[in-house]
Amino acid sequence: MSEGAELVRGSGLTKRFGGIVANDAVDFVVTEGDLVGLIGPNGSGKTTLINMLTGHLEPDGGEVAVRGRRVNGRAPHIYAAMGVARTFQLTQLFGRMTVLENLLVPGLTRPHSTRDAVERSARGYLAFLNLSHVEHLDAKNLSGGQQKLLELGRCLMLEPAILFLDEPFAGVHPRLRDELITRIQELHEQGRTFVVVDHDMESILRISQRLVVMARGSKIADGPPAVVRADQTVLAAYAGL
Amino acid sequence: MRALHIYVLLAAAALVLVSAGQLNPYWMHVAIIAMYYGILASSWSLLAGSVGLFSLSHMAFAAIGAYTSQLLINWFGIPIPLGMVAGVVMCCVLGGLIGWVCLRMSGPYLAIFTLGFSEIVRITIATEDGVTAGMAGLHTDQLFPDAATRLPYFYTAFALLAVSLLLMGLLVRSRWGLFLRAIREDEQAAAASGVAVARFRILAFAIASGFAGLAGGFYAHYITIITPSMGDLNEMAKLVVMSVIGGMERLPTAVGGAFFVEFLLEKLRDLSGVHWHISILGIELELQNIDQWRLPVFGVLLLLTMRFARNGLLTPIWLQFVRLGEKRSRAPSAAPDIGPEDSRA
Repeated sequence: MSEGAELVRGSGLTKRFGGIVANDAVDFVVTEGDLVGLIGPNGSGKTTLINMLTGHLEPDGGEVAVRGRRVNGRAPHIYAAMGVARTFQLTQLFGRMTVLENLLVPGLTRPHSTRDAVERSARGYLAFLNLSHVEHLDAKNLSGGQQKLLELGRCLMLEPAILFLDEPFAGVHPRLRDELITRIQELHEQGRTFVVVDHDMESILRISQRLVVMARGSKIADGPPAVVRADQTVLAAYAGL
Repeated sequence: MRALHIYVLLAAAALVLVSAGQLNPYWMHVAIIAMYYGILASSWSLLAGSVGLFSLSHMAFAAIGAYTSQLLINWFGIPIPLGMVAGVVMCCVLGGLIGWVCLRMSGPYLAIFTLGFSEIVRITIATEDGVTAGMAGLHTDQLFPDAATRLPYFYTAFALLAVSLLLMGLLVRSRWGLFLRAIREDEQAAAASGVAVARFRILAFAIASGFAGLAGGFYAHYITIITPSMGDLNEMAKLVVMSVIGGMERLPTAVGGAFFVEFLLEKLRDLSGVHWHISILGIELELQNIDQWRLPVFGVLLLLTMRFARNGLLTPIWLQFVRLGEKRSRAPSAAPDIGPEDSRA
């Protein structure tokens, strides 16, 4: 964990779906400047945790705080307004809107934003993500990798303090995956905080400064990647590693 | 000259206004009713096409606007325009309430819920004889009691349609319009992008219902008698057919659909008394009163539209039309031309 101020804190987060406990009293803290890798086998509760930390699921137990303010039960757009951005496991874009419009939506939700300023900012991010040449295409016509980049761009338009990326490398061509990693690293160097969930261990280990491992709804390890990788509990849970 | 299509539309509007007096009373009445449906189809398209909320209560709101206006006139003696404004306000409030109740509904659930609301409104109006005059119909005050022709109504309907389209067009092109389209595409992603989804869904319902109330109020004070059937499912189905055939993702195409269906329905009345004798595989068919087949014809047209032109029959024409000026002003280019016109329209 970095020395920065606490951005998001989940304390004792519990979520049940029917008889299944997806998250069981999970504590998770992200501080400014972190680049956290969140890993775990399928069904370990990673996405559920992210959904609760970004307002898309209300916890059955526990508390979520953003910059020390309790935000349980608030709508996701409140989280976005507080600087918490996210992408989705299965890319969720505004398919029949252009690439540029996809970026204008979050930009224009910001208070005191003007159309001209937001368009300038959107074009800047499109250039940064190498998507300028497709700005007038409908988002549904982009390749899978380009869609992931666009989703990242949409998050950036919120000028967020923290970005939760849910499986950003899934199904992405290796060349585009490398581009995505480069962009995440550049943004992190500029001061952005990231939580990245993925199954792609190689990519996660390339970028993470801190690794959190979940299994069966609980957090089983949290620390520097080198330490976590050698943890016997993690190796047992992550069979095959 | 990117705005060429706007100048063409303005010129056409001016031509219509100047030559309206030449229409005979029957076709002028058809045109007025078409404009009434034009307001309804475009406002329903705002809800269904821009936000993706398939409501079946739109005609019920038109009825609410109509009855509210006349009942307030009867009870308090207020002027007709004030009654119409009160009808709009009532529809906005009720529409917002329905939007709030339906926050977590979409698709078939929303359709069934709004259908239920629509039936409640219709049955309430039909059974509350003492207040609404029930099935006998409520006699309404005329907007222009001293008018010798329908021309003042034509101009009023034209102005209401133009103002409605202008206001809805401004909404669609504003940042709110962008948020509404984002909600249509993906509510979860819109919320993650900072859009207050619940607030905008309620707002969309309130605004669309308000325009329905406006159309209903005008209709009441034009037609001089209103009945519960004004808000029934047949009328709602007709509205959906108009919007879908025209193209429900754009306001002008929805209005075009309303005009197309209304005028064609009337034109087909000319086939009244015409008999067709058809022989298929030795089976002799005698079709009497061909005009009775006009509604099934529209059913078939709707099916064909849904199968072969989901964006509506008029959408491709409209898109070509809005590109008029761009084609003339732009040098030939190999760049692909996808998207922006679609989204601006």
